Amino acid sequence: MKRDPVASGTAVRSGTGVASGAPAVSGGVTAALGALGVVVGLRAVFGAPLHASIGWLVPFAGLRIDLDPLGGAFMALTGAVAAAVGVYAIGYARREHWARFPLVMLPVFVLTLLVVPAAGSVTTFLFGWEAMALTSLALVLTEHHRDEVRSAGLFYAVLTQIGFVAILVALVSLSSASGSGDFAGIRAAAGDLGPALRNGVFLLTVVGFGSKAGLLPLHAWLPRAHPEAPSPVSALMSAAMVNLGIYGIVRIDVQALGGGPRWWGTTLMVVGAASAVFGVLQASVSADLKRLLAYSTTENMGLIAMAIGASMLLGASGLASVAAIALTAALLHLVAHAAFKALGFLAAGSVLAGTGLRDLDRLGGLARRMPYTTVLFGIAALGATGLPLGAGFVGEWLLLQSLIHTPQGDNTLLSLVIPLSIGALALTTGLGIVAMVKAFGIGFLARPRSEGAEKAREASPTMLVGMALAALGCVVVAVAPAALGPALTRVASTLPSVGGDQGPKLGAILRLPGAAGSVSPAILAAAFAVAISLVLLLARWGVGARPAAVVRPLWAGGGPALTPRMQYTATSFAEPLQRVFDDVLRPDTDVAVTHVAESRYLIEKITFRTAQADAVEEHLYWPVVRAVAAVARGVRKAHTGSIHLYLLFGTIGLLVVIVVGR
Amino acid sequence: MSWATRILKVGRIVQASPAAPARTVPSPTGTRASLQIRHVDAGSCNGCELELSGAFSSVYDAEQFGARLVASPRHADALVVTGVVTHNMRGPLIDTLAATPEPKLVIAMGDCACDGGMFRNGYGVAGAVGDFVPVDVELRGCPPTPDQIVETLRKVTGR
Ligand code: SF4
Repeated sequence: MKRDPVASGTAVRSGTGVASGAPAVSGGVTAALGALGVVVGLRAVFGAPLHASIGWLVPFAGLRIDLDPLGGAFMALTGAVAAAVGVYAIGYARREHWARFPLVMLPVFVLTLLVVPAAGSVTTFLFGWEAMALTSLALVLTEHHRDEVRSAGLFYAVLTQIGFVAILVALVSLSSASGSGDFAGIRAAAGDLGPALRNGVFLLTVVGFGSKAGLLPLHAWLPRAHPEAPSPVSALMSAAMVNLGIYGIVRIDVQALGGGPRWWGTTLMVVGAASAVFGVLQASVSADLKRLLAYSTTENMGLIAMAIGASMLLGASGLASVAAIALTAALLHLVAHAAFKALGFLAAGSVLAGTGLRDLDRLGGLARRMPYTTVLFGIAALGATGLPLGAGFVGEWLLLQSLIHTPQGDNTLLSLVIPLSIGALALTTGLGIVAMVKAFGIGFLARPRSEGAEKAREASPTMLVGMALAALGCVVVAVAPAALGPALTRVASTLPSVGGDQGPKLGAILRLPGAAGSVSPAILAAAFAVAISLVLLLARWGVGARPAAVVRPLWAGGGPALTPRMQYTATSFAEPLQRVFDDVLRPDTDVAVTHVAESRYLIEKITFRTAQADAVEEHLYWPVVRAVAAVARGVRKAHTGSIHLYLLFGTIGLLVVIVVGR
Repeated sequence: MSWATRILKVGRIVQASPAAPARTVPSPTGTRASLQIRHVDAGSCNGCELELSGAFSSVYDAEQFGARLVASPRHADALVVTGVVTHNMRGPLIDTLAATPEPKLVIAMGDCACDGGMFRNGYGVAGAVGDFVPVDVELRGCPPTPDQIVETLRKVTGR
């Protein structure tokens, strides 16, 4: 098959040296680590907290593990994602001929992902965090011979390090002010810390952890790094790593600091809502399947941040029971997002491996050639829409309920923030449906739009098993969220500042304490299944009495047969939306008409070019980069090479030091 | 109140309908007062189209007798074909009839459609409608007047 170098997902071809069993070993170890993470994490959620200390492993401070229900839950979630990805990676690595380096790095990355939520001290946490950033960066750069990958790696490295600096400053000042290097000690001393320090730490953690979670404005690495990374890595990053950004915010701001003034929650809600709306808008106009999924991650992390912000705001306003609903919504949506986004990226990886394409404008018709992948991606897309029977429904429904049932009274802040966030949530959900209908409808249905899509190959069995595992997670969250109830209750109980000890009970029917409204996904699903089977039965009934079906050519408006070029493409599907949100999206479109030389009424050709840039990146990052470059150029002017001038600089510097230090 | 006085002044625009003609053509669907029509221009001079649109205008209002123009043969019970069949429209005409669900009816409208009319033996002409698809109703005239069109349609709708 001819592969387009830009669209292809082929990894660095391993020349020699990688044994044929290596992918199985790498994927197997990854999956085993994941399974171990699930077991250990769940034990920490339901059993006694785990403590361990290994003095020699990390320089100076030693490795300190403290697993409480909160960390355990994140560990189990990460482990579950890793298990599915590990199984999938066996087939994927084999088909894409991975070199030895990514095969080794994949399990290492999973290990660092498991260490972060288990960390009990600031040093261990920072160590795990940076190790996670570096291993993921190395994995993003797997295909470093392509320019896009190198540029994505640069973006990722810079933004993740900016985030790391913010986290470093926050955690180090927190631990020095509280006189304790572990989270338990910080929590004990948190009440005595000054408001300035607490506020500073909050802002720094929102920036630092927000950059990892893909929240605005430090989200730009996400839509670059996720598409360019190999798909199992994208799945791990999008379904497990970004969660840890949320984990950091919950661990430090909600748990260790025990919440704060009301503007904390409001800030988080604003950042979350902006990320959600911006992310979903970008996703709905994106024509690249993996870029679309990456922006959808920004959207969902935005929703989760909004839910956590709401729970903090409501908790600080003394509305503990509603705050608890918002917290449950955040945790549930986190699990749902991990399930459907892992599945989404894995299915996108199967498409990439099967067709060499991830450009929706050139895909299509995969339903025939890749039926299993199509069904599995459909489950992921349904989950991402937030419609009933999809994984994302319950979390978004709970968030909406918590916002609707907030008694606003004469509280100005609440009566301003809550209705606006309901609007943001509604807009996000609506546009999310557009984005996912586009991804599924254009990518998988209709007719193939290119040769690559026409010759698609179904994913290999291990890839399908990996995706099926993730799909199982989606179905459980969608149909039986009650199964997660006990774990969520245990996690929430460690977060009393947001009413975690009085959360809604997730039974077969979700009921909200202190608020009207209940829903039962299980009964919904059962009713749906019964309705479908009834329709099928009715359709079969009396089939014999009807005349036999006649096959006629497809109606093509009287013209010759339909061609794939007549179909909607991802770009044309999103065009109306792009027009409506022109001011936010700022697409770069260009139409050039060439007329025939003899007459202006005849057209020789029309060239249409469109590119969707990221408006935040364009208007926030590049000015900063340009300013830095300008300053650097200015500084360079002083470097003339004249030794006399340098001596003068030295003297002036010395004088300044003497005068200041006097 | 100017619009009310204007309405009063103008009075009734729709022409009083003459008595229903005898129902000579059985409706394809077996129903009364319901005929969904897809119009096909097989190569007409557009005179027939003008009169057809006149027949469906507010003055002659063929819809009050149950005839409706629809946008796709998939929705249609009958085809109204105008004009002589040109070489270019021969295939599309046959395709359109194939795309119309059974039971169906073909109404050839205008002299051209019925026997080639004034364009018979023209260099771009393939033949009359009846040469390519079975014709059930012929409506003569060059072009037929809206009155004639409405009358013919009423023979099918039975109203
Ligand atoms: S019948 Fe007369 S009016 Fe109708 S298409 Fe032929 S020439 Fe034109």
